[in-house]
Amino acid sequence: MDFSLTEEQQLLKDSVEKFVASQYNPQQREALLHADAAFSADHWKTFAELGWLTIPFAEEQGGFGGGIVESAIVMEAFGSALVLEPFVDTVLLCGQLLARSDNAALCEQYLNPLMAGELHGGLAWQERSTRNHLNHCSTKAKTDGKDFFISGEKVLVSNADADLLVVTARLSGETDAVDGIALIAVPLDCEGVRTQRLRLMDGREALNVVFDNCRVPAQNLISDDGLELAQQVVDEALVALGAEAVGAMDYLYKATVEYSKTRKQFGQPIGKFQALQHRMVDMFMHTEQCRSMLIAALCAVSDNSPEKTQAIAALKTMVGKYGRQVAEEAVQLHGGMGVTHEMNIGHYLKRLMMIDACFGDALVHRRRYCELNYAA
Amino acid sequence: MHAKFTDEELAFQQEVRHFMQTEYTPELAEKIRHPDTFREGMISWQKKLDAAGWAANGWPVEHGGCDWSATQKSIYVNEMAYAGAPDVVPMGIKMVAPVLYSFGSEEQKKRFLPPTKASDIWWCQGYSESGAGSDLAALQTRAVRDGDDYIVNGTKIWTTYAQHADWIFCLVRTSTDGKPQEGISFLLIDMESPGVSVSPIISIDDEHHLNEVSFSDVRVPLENRIGEENQGWTYAKALLTYERTALSGVGYCKRTLKSIRELAARENHGGRPLLEDPDFQARLADVEMEVTSLEYLELRVLNQVDKGGAPGMESSLLKLKGSDCQQAVQTLFWNLAAAYGGVLPDDGHRDVSGHDYGNRARREYMFGRATTIYGGSNEVQRNIIAKFGLGL
Repeated sequence: MDFSLTEEQQLLKDSVEKFVASQYNPQQREALLHADAAFSADHWKTFAELGWLTIPFAEEQGGFGGGIVESAIVMEAFGSALVLEPFVDTVLLCGQLLARSDNAALCEQYLNPLMAGELHGGLAWQERSTRNHLNHCSTKAKTDGKDFFISGEKVLVSNADADLLVVTARLSGETDAVDGIALIAVPLDCEGVRTQRLRLMDGREALNVVFDNCRVPAQNLISDDGLELAQQVVDEALVALGAEAVGAMDYLYKATVEYSKTRKQFGQPIGKFQALQHRMVDMFMHTEQCRSMLIAALCAVSDNSPEKTQAIAALKTMVGKYGRQVAEEAVQLHGGMGVTHEMNIGHYLKRLMMIDACFGDALVHRRRYCELNYAA
Repeated sequence: MHAKFTDEELAFQQEVRHFMQTEYTPELAEKIRHPDTFREGMISWQKKLDAAGWAANGWPVEHGGCDWSATQKSIYVNEMAYAGAPDVVPMGIKMVAPVLYSFGSEEQKKRFLPPTKASDIWWCQGYSESGAGSDLAALQTRAVRDGDDYIVNGTKIWTTYAQHADWIFCLVRTSTDGKPQEGISFLLIDMESPGVSVSPIISIDDEHHLNEVSFSDVRVPLENRIGEENQGWTYAKALLTYERTALSGVGYCKRTLKSIRELAARENHGGRPLLEDPDFQARLADVEMEVTSLEYLELRVLNQVDKGGAPGMESSLLKLKGSDCQQAVQTLFWNLAAAYGGVLPDDGHRDVSGHDYGNRARREYMFGRATTIYGGSNEVQRNIIAKFGLGL
């Protein structure tokens, strides 16, 4: 057992924190929110130059050869400043699915430009009739051997600037069957794709996508029975989202403590009031609890422990529950300022709520934990 | 970043598991469970642990401790929990011993450490008084010098297992000058000394763990004082740090959760095992997750110490979260026992309801209400964390 970072990991952490400190103060982020694009293409270029986009990919594939810990290091620092660039969608979802496809031609075509920062991606799985279940898939794919023809609708696809979506599409079986779900890499400039951009409360943008007999070459197939692969990649992305949430919570409790030392009422800093002190201790405690659960999940994934799915479900449950709680407390303790757009505290609340809502909220993951743990 | 065990650690796990399975016998468990034989049972259990070299595992190696890594400590606590075996009674080995080896004279170390390790001395803690609970420095028990002795007068309260104890370590007032903290000394007092009397306090679990200990002109030799006169507060504060980390109770929580799961699988709930009920599962899951995060919080602290670092401010959370977790586990246990938990045992402490854990569930819940009070109440812990951790 060893929870410390390697020298290389520490360097990565320092480097990401340095970027965040110099490029992502609240004013800089606010400027990005008001720009036309959902995020900064310049920042993305910087990520590519610094090699961050290659982090979780194997060296044979031209990657950095990192793993879940490196991804979490990046996302925790990103969470602390609410970085908008879609690292999870492009790198950890789309990129990882490509990388694990055993389809060298596909990787050549898409993964290389993705690592170079020239291609954005996402995972299109959610449909109007489900919110939580990856296996619920009514989007259909037919094949004539040479091409796939995809029909159906995907909603709330994270990263509106994706060039390439990995789409879950059913080759066979009923809507909720676990078998027969293909993972297909679909370039959004394909014929038969219609998209609608959606602005989200955390400053990001998403897509609703209609596939109308969309034609994709057969070689774009990642897996013809890919639910397990998709679940595995999503689960690892959940750990990265957990790290992002911990970064955000850490920022919130520290910012609240600092604010309470300067804000004066009744002739003294409000941080002198015991009622508020105890609430800030609880914010700190919940943050450290979530960080502890993050470490448990990182170890479980790194060790490929038989309990890794439970650990991930527990992490998602805990950051869902305590993430919002810490953010609500931060808003409350900032008083009137806490509910202004001008103060960044509310922005953290919004992001933490979106993280909770993503891929199933705290209740969904608690149920998942129960099913894994207490099955008859 | 990993939580895997090395081959040596796996071998150590096997060794501890085998020991717990063979040495913590049902007869011994029954002895410890019954108040009349509790002392005898605990001493024989602790002597077994000492014979294995593990009783004082947290001590420095030169005094008979173990040079364990964080991983080994966690393996040991977990295996003990899985076997349902209790850890040592903390007052001696975990509380006064660190003060002895950190601040005691060579003579005191020689005199007290070996019998403490061998469980030949049963210690109790004389800190709180009726007027000095959370505000410990307000204590009034006086020690006045008289030749080579102190004469001690006063009353300590909430003294756990004083009825079993051979010695008590006490905070006493030796000066009223300056700040209250500056006039306190740390004394070791033989419970056999003339003038020491113990009277029981029955707690809401209807058991006798707690006591009031009175000192009436008790003579205590100067050589029984630890360190300097009027410096006792410094030593006591160091001890409180040990006490708090000893109080996270992860092992207890895991052991009890394991019982709860097994028992819930056996309980009938509308024709199905209660463990399959979604509402019960949700409650169990909430508590299990809290305990897992507590376990990793503790491992993080141990890991930092392993790496030669000092524990960070997150270590201050262990007592706070640990006691919350213990109570959450106990509440769930009581819920599981349902109305059987309300049936009192007969005079021989035997269950008479025909239900085998209701009594245990009630007792643990009731006595567990003290976990957020002793060792500095959780409100005081929050004050401390706010001040020293958050700088408020």
